[in-house]
Amino acid sequence: MKNLLEVKSHKTLKISQIDGGQNVRKKLSVMGIGVDSSIKVIRNAPFAGPLIIEHAGSQTAIGRGIAAKIQVEELE
Amino acid sequence: MRIAILGQPNAGKSTIFNAVAGYKSASANFSGTTVQYTESTVRLNGMIAEILDFPGCYSFSATSEAEFEIRKYLLTRPIDVIIGVLDASQLSRGLPLIIELMELDIPLIVALNMMDEAHRKGMEISTDTLSSIFSLPIVETIASKNIGVRELFNAVRTILAEREFPNRQSLRFQKDVEQIVTRMEQRIPAANIQDQLLSTRFLAMKLLEDDTELLRQLHYLNPDELIRTARGFQRDLEHIRGKPGDTVLTMERNALAQEIVNRVTTVHHPRSRWYDRLDDILMHRFWGYVIMALLIGGIFYLIFGVGAGIETPLLELFDRLEMALKKTFDESGLWYTILRGALFGISGGVAIVLPYLIPFLLVLSILEDAGYIPRIAYLMDSFMHRIGLHGTAILPALLGYGCTVPAIMATRILPSRRDKVIAGTIATLVPCSARSVVILSLVGFYLGAPAALFIYVLNIAIIGLAGKLMASMMPQPTPGMIMEVPPYRWPVPVTVLRKVWFRIREFIIIAWPLLIIGSIIVSIASYFQWTGIINDILSPLTSGILGLPAAVGMTLVFGVLRKELSLIMLVQAIGTTNVPAVMSAGEIMTFAVFVTFYIPCVATIAALYSQLGWRWMTVISLFTLVLAVLLSLLVKSGFLLVF
Repeated sequence: MKNLLEVKSHKTLKISQIDGGQNVRKKLSVMGIGVDSSIKVIRNAPFAGPLIIEHAGSQTAIGRGIAAKIQVEELE
Repeated sequence: MRIAILGQPNAGKSTIFNAVAGYKSASANFSGTTVQYTESTVRLNGMIAEILDFPGCYSFSATSEAEFEIRKYLLTRPIDVIIGVLDASQLSRGLPLIIELMELDIPLIVALNMMDEAHRKGMEISTDTLSSIFSLPIVETIASKNIGVRELFNAVRTILAEREFPNRQSLRFQKDVEQIVTRMEQRIPAANIQDQLLSTRFLAMKLLEDDTELLRQLHYLNPDELIRTARGFQRDLEHIRGKPGDTVLTMERNALAQEIVNRVTTVHHPRSRWYDRLDDILMHRFWGYVIMALLIGGIFYLIFGVGAGIETPLLELFDRLEMALKKTFDESGLWYTILRGALFGISGGVAIVLPYLIPFLLVLSILEDAGYIPRIAYLMDSFMHRIGLHGTAILPALLGYGCTVPAIMATRILPSRRDKVIAGTIATLVPCSARSVVILSLVGFYLGAPAALFIYVLNIAIIGLAGKLMASMMPQPTPGMIMEVPPYRWPVPVTVLRKVWFRIREFIIIAWPLLIIGSIIVSIASYFQWTGIINDILSPLTSGILGLPAAVGMTLVFGVLRKELSLIMLVQAIGTTNVPAVMSAGEIMTFAVFVTFYIPCVATIAALYSQLGWRWMTVISLFTLVLAVLLSLLVKSGFLLVF
């Protein structure tokens, strides 16, 4: 299991676990980013900026702190 | 009759609202444009109804203040019909909210909006199947082009007129979870709920999600006992699914939504548009910043060029009018004084404020509707972290370039109070369009564009320092950014123009008359030499510390009412539109810096009070005053040293 910061861009991933507080989890899950969702990292901002992930056709910017708490498995 | 428009952020609620109510609610291509609900009375084929445009919410779990606000409304006032706005191109993310809306047991109609975008994405949605799954009326719309909106409101009218509430059965979860929900529902005392506005199913859900906030507002339910019961069921949920209760229910809704999406949509190959690839450049790790800088710089020069191009001939025209006035009336008489005051007030609006305000708001609206603003937030996130905030906090700051009041309102989208305070301070420091008018038409016009640009750069540097300072005084790890990045959209010209009008209307119908009256008052006051008293009181600051003509004292008082007044009153106070004849370059610069930073206008002070309370309102106002004095002193001594 790796977290979102450790995976390569443009690989299809499956979220296996989201660590951290209830608030972050809730916020992500109502946006459609929860355990079992399949996502893709499509962009990385420089200077330790946020990542952009693609999920079910929409794009969301996620800070690195939160990205580190999202555990994923690489599909394929 | 009360109609509520609800839906996820950036689904087009405000666009639908504006289509029937006229442009009354700010819309843009990013989440959180509407932070408070907007209400309007409309006529639907002879039926009078209140329409409410609510802020966007992803769900009712109250993870943001906007969601909390909506729930509070639902608890206190009855709603006759809900229009659930669903972004067709984001179906799987939007459906869980519709499922939640059904739990409310209020007549519901769904607007399947942005059908064009769904088509482009290669999604074919069977609206009929969707409608029969939900047993709900569903109307396809493309609100930005006003397609389907009439049909939508006809359907709303039918529901209202015939009180025809489609006999729908709520969607059910998987059996084991559903059983627990039903058992929870049965524990909610029905007798008490009769006159209440929330359905038992909705309450049961919230209880199982451990939403204690909501329960505290429902004292009549004997919450303590209910919470105890709910805890037991929460444990059951956790037992069967191995996850906390709230997660289980959200997952159930998401799963249900996904199942429905699979049934109603067929996906073809998406038609790609050239601007889908735009982000490869605009969000590029190097070129993204280069383009952002060029774009903002270019916009600055464009606005300045257009503004100055219009200002010069208009000022000449008004000079000639003043000459004519001098010839017609006795120059030492009261009539001349009054008319000259009125003329200055009128010319201030036409020649000085509007030439800059209109192009500025036009460009800002286009950027907002195209969806570029969240990209700026993304690019600036790591810099915002250096001043202790995250990228989302730049949204209020950017809105602040338009008007400080909505900018402060927008700090609601931030998670913690500390972030709100810092972002509120920053938003106050950002020069709003009124202050931009002062910078552009005073400094830019008389001293050249680079001098005006200098004030903007100085302002950004000060904002950085102030943010850093406040962050170090209130240390707290900043929660990271979670921000939807919307697809680019072509700004619709009509919407952009209506939005510009929506924003300048306030200047034209409130500020401008005030400006003309104020100008006449100052004119009369100086005729009888009353202004001297105020100028004398302020002279320790104006001529003492800042080294400005004492006459500017009065203008600073007016500036607190509205920032652009300080400029027009300056013209009035020194008696000419040819400012350099009276003030040196250093004095103009000192004055402009002071006006840019000092005490926010009354409307901003009120907004600060409502968002942050009187204590922070006072602290921020005093802070800006001290800052203004220090900075203008610095500019003054800088000029003395260099020139």
